[in-house]
Amino acid sequence: MRIAKIFVALAATALALTACENRKDPAEKTIAQIESSIAEVRADAEKYAPEELKGLDESVATLKRGFGNKRYNEVLTAAPSVTSAVTALKESIAKAKADSEAILAAAQAEWTELSSSVPPLVDAIQSRVDILSKSRKLPKDVDKAGFETIKTDFETVKSDWTAATREYAAGAAADAVRKARAAKSKAEEIHAKLGMNS
Amino acid sequence: MSTENPYAQYYVVKKGDTLSKIAEEFYGDKMLYPKIFEANTDVLQDPNKIKPGQRLRIP
Repeated sequence: MRIAKIFVALAATALALTACENRKDPAEKTIAQIESSIAEVRADAEKYAPEELKGLDESVATLKRGFGNKRYNEVLTAAPSVTSAVTALKESIAKAKADSEAILAAAQAEWTELSSSVPPLVDAIQSRVDILSKSRKLPKDVDKAGFETIKTDFETVKSDWTAATREYAAGAAADAVRKARAAKSKAEEIHAKLGMNS
Repeated sequence: MSTENPYAQYYVVKKGDTLSKIAEEFYGDKMLYPKIFEANTDVLQDPNKIKPGQRLRIP
């Protein structure tokens, strides 16, 4: 009777060990699949969803620790939620990419408008500033101090526009548009102060 | 074919105007009238001959 009990206990242990070993391969494959899925989108994830990626890397590390400690069942139980997190990460990347592309398209459209309106505005002001600089008197709505301020502000407009053009050429469309928009606004103020919009 | 600068300023000549008078109004200095003449050689042949209704660009 006692031998039978020992035999049953040994058999149960052996069964448990076998069952455990049977879970090893699926656990290993599951981790490999998750890692492979993350690797496919890692570069985009670092750019568009770095926090989600960080959380996911921690989850994978936890799975690997469980695997290292031979807790294959725990690995297989936890794996579906990590797989879902990978899917969510991919969705976040797709949305962030679409948003980024929309912002870029809007910036490019605005740049097209700015690059066709700022140069003629600057040309018109430059012409007037050059002529008024030669004038012995100034028109009635422009005093000497005001004209000096206008000239200084206009130099700033020109350098800001040059900087914006350089930034756009370097691929920083959103920054370029912000700078160009400010330059145009300042140029329009100058245009009005010179009485040129009448 | 050149396109008009949308930010350029224009002035429509009135009866009694001269380029000197227009220059004085826009530049504060009537001696700068040649600037207006040079900018409008497509419609003006003589700086002393301007006609009411003519649309002049004021550079």
